[in-house]
Amino acid sequence: MVISDPVYFIALPLLTAFLLPLFGKIYKPLIGIIPGLVFAFIAYISFDLYLNLVPGKPIVIQLAGWAPPWGINLVFSEFSGFVVTLITFLAFLVWVYSYNFKKVGFDNSKKYFTLLMLLVAGSIGVVLTGDIFNMFVFLEITAISSYGLTAFYKGRDSAEAAFKFLLIGSLSSTFILLAILLLYKQVGTLNMAEIAVKAQSIDPKMKSIIAILFMIGLGIEAEMFPMNGWVPDAYSQAPAPVAASFAGMLAKSGIYALVRVFYTVLEVDGIFDLLLIMGILTIIFAEFSAMRQTRLRRMLAYSSIGQMGLIMVAFSFNTKAGIFAGLFLMFNHAIIKSLLFLASGFLTYSTKQKKIRDLDGFGKIMPFTSLMFGLGAFAIVGLPPFSGFWGKLNMLVATADSNLYFVIALILLVAVVEVVYYFKVIGRLYFRQQHKEVEVHKPTWNAIAAMSVLAIVIIGVGIYPDLITDYLTKATNELFDKASYIHNVLPNLSLN
Amino acid sequence: MQEFLTYGIYGTAFFLMLLGLYAALVKKNLVKIVIGLSVLDSGLHLLFVAVGYISNGTAPIFSPAVVGKNVVMVDPVPQALVLTAIVIGFGVTAVALALVVRLYRKHNTTNIDEIKNLKW
Repeated sequence: MVISDPVYFIALPLLTAFLLPLFGKIYKPLIGIIPGLVFAFIAYISFDLYLNLVPGKPIVIQLAGWAPPWGINLVFSEFSGFVVTLITFLAFLVWVYSYNFKKVGFDNSKKYFTLLMLLVAGSIGVVLTGDIFNMFVFLEITAISSYGLTAFYKGRDSAEAAFKFLLIGSLSSTFILLAILLLYKQVGTLNMAEIAVKAQSIDPKMKSIIAILFMIGLGIEAEMFPMNGWVPDAYSQAPAPVAASFAGMLAKSGIYALVRVFYTVLEVDGIFDLLLIMGILTIIFAEFSAMRQTRLRRMLAYSSIGQMGLIMVAFSFNTKAGIFAGLFLMFNHAIIKSLLFLASGFLTYSTKQKKIRDLDGFGKIMPFTSLMFGLGAFAIVGLPPFSGFWGKLNMLVATADSNLYFVIALILLVAVVEVVYYFKVIGRLYFRQQHKEVEVHKPTWNAIAAMSVLAIVIIGVGIYPDLITDYLTKATNELFDKASYIHNVLPNLSLN
Repeated sequence: MQEFLTYGIYGTAFFLMLLGLYAALVKKNLVKIVIGLSVLDSGLHLLFVAVGYISNGTAPIFSPAVVGKNVVMVDPVPQALVLTAIVIGFGVTAVALALVVRLYRKHNTTNIDEIKNLKW
């Protein structure tokens, strides 16, 4: 098909984001409808492209007619295509959910959808681009739109959360820019494939410095341990669908960039050991903080950090089994965490404090939302027959393959901790008496639709994991085979 | 002279970056933090331009005056990158200041110690 071109993933949301206020001038409801059409279209073409992708032959697009390494190129491969498809799918569901989530008025929904489209365009750009500076630009687009979305509600402490996010985020972008500068000084190119070839001749000390700068900078987006102070605040102050898209898009593009840089662009000795240690610290810090939280959204945010730590550990093994498990966990985290955040949006709608103890007995008054939350909690803890089970199982197998028995112990311990704090919420939902009369906000029909689709995906993949394992294996092979990535982008260059 | 200039520029860039980092991490006033971030960015931009400089190079423009002659040009790529980075830095500063205005309206202060509804 002529129309299926990866350029649309970035160009279309970016263009419509800025035209949206104009559409609103013509006819007000267009503000809500146009983003949906755009998200549906890019989700459709990403599925179309991804399902028809020939293995070993990624789609490489040159922008503006300049061939790489001079121009910017987009690479739609098995791995990046998988992440893009996940992002576009979630973007569409987030739109379905937020189409009439809380009547916020015309002006606000204009801002909301504009920023949401920028966030989607930026996250997809980070994943698709084959140019390291272009990746930085897309990371900044993502970051700036996330600051705006975090500060969306005026009544809460959202400006405080957004400022904190901005402070950490702009320090992170400085680190990334410094790393790019040092890298450019060493190899004289910005194309990721060409850097991968020339990076072998960089002085190892310099390479470690660059790698650590990248790790700090990208680790902030990927919610890595010392730099994740923004996560609980941003997730708890932003609107629920925004929290879902942070978990599904922002964190996913951050971890993608981290993995792409360390697997393909820079090969540094010992960086995976460092990633393993950081991942373990992230898990321990996050899960034990999650247990102490009294507010639902903060608890989910800490749990999300823990999941991201687990993904980092999986990728740090540097084995095929590890990458496979990491991709499975990425998929699970995106789908399940989004469902939990979307459900939490209606659960805490009428409670002022957004505390967990305000939710006593909600299982009776909000049966559907509570059911969805319970399903998400069961899935993320890793109980069969949900998709979370297969992710954790693959993770344990991969860990055993790498002979890291203390990590197995840690994963099992963390699973117990997760059971404790998730079941605490479920217990309150179903086995407590209601406090007093509370104002009930029934979920709207479109929210029910969005949550049901996610639940069906979770159960479907849980019962029949072969639905995605085939694609995950292909993505694993693509990521592990650095030489063919370079060959596909720059046919004249090769690793020696 | 040339060496002095090189060290001077690199030194200034690192000094600006450290100064900005200090302001962003230590200062208590929100506006000063934003200024610190901006200074940090400027230092990095200076470093970018310095890295791209080739001694005695001219502006990298293909014009009849330079074509065919043995003229050294400076590296244009870092300059292009710096233009992009300046625009991004401008955007971030604008968003940061907008947030400071909102924080000031809500809390009536720009001191970070008095804004503690979320745990810092």
